[in-house]
Amino acid sequence: MNERELIALLKKKDREAFKIIVETWQDMVYNTALGLLQNAEDAEDTAQEVFMQVFDSITTFKEESKFSTWLYRITVSKSLDLIRKKKRKKRFAFVQSLYGKNDELINDPPDFFHPGVKMENKERASFLFKAIEKLPANQKTAFILNKTEGLSYGEIGEIMKLSSSAVDALLQRAKKNLQTNLKEYYELQTT
Amino acid sequence: MQENINKKIEDALNSLDGMEHASAKPFFFTRLEARMQKERNTWEKISSFFARPAIAFAGICLVIMINAAVIFSSQTKHNNVIGQNDETATVDEYSQVSSNFFEFVNTQP
Repeated sequence: MNERELIALLKKKDREAFKIIVETWQDMVYNTALGLLQNAEDAEDTAQEVFMQVFDSITTFKEESKFSTWLYRITVSKSLDLIRKKKRKKRFAFVQSLYGKNDELINDPPDFFHPGVKMENKERASFLFKAIEKLPANQKTAFILNKTEGLSYGEIGEIMKLSSSAVDALLQRAKKNLQTNLKEYYELQTT
Repeated sequence: MQENINKKIEDALNSLDGMEHASAKPFFFTRLEARMQKERNTWEKISSFFARPAIAFAGICLVIMINAAVIFSSQTKHNNVIGQNDETATVDEYSQVSSNFFEFVNTQP
């Protein structure tokens, strides 16, 4: 069964077609969400929500772009929504105590180690992910899609509705900002 | 030392090269289906609650009562305004009579 037939069946809410689509694309969706959210639980929740939306709104998919492009868009959108929601929560948490009952820090996210990174690069990659977290949403998206998904500038442009040159400019700015963030971090370490 | 930091930065930027895709945990579809079923059940519970005849009837009565209260209170305000106008007219009439009376008294030698 090709992708077109699967989508046609999914529009009729066929369970088997939905299962095949989920099993085909779940790793791609999960990996993208994981790169953006840097948390396995959040990535799993978001991946589930992506497929729930696919199931609910497949009739709105006009097949003008590739199915994977549409899937990436939903994944990026849901991941960025969750990041914004968490930031809003943090902003209003000033009435909350910083420490718990046993004097442990309540909001102390652990360093993120991406499971797909090579062992010898894990620690360096965790510093990089800390720096990625500070990037603006569009630079973060372009960087993650390029580095963790291996997408070309053209493919990223289709997902983000930008030209290849705009994606190139985004990635240049992202790299510059990452260098600045990493420099601050490494200089702090040496002092 | 600056060179050392620059090298570290470059190494960090290249640390994602050759990385593999992370995979979703096993039985992802099973968990997804369970969640979709749970949400469907929640919506069905909510809509079936409001579809119960007693609840639907109570809801309609509440809406009618609120509308009636709004209509009644606006009518009452309208009547009060008319009443006030009558009073004002009465006051005017008496004040005219009064002034006439005093004028009548004052003209007496």
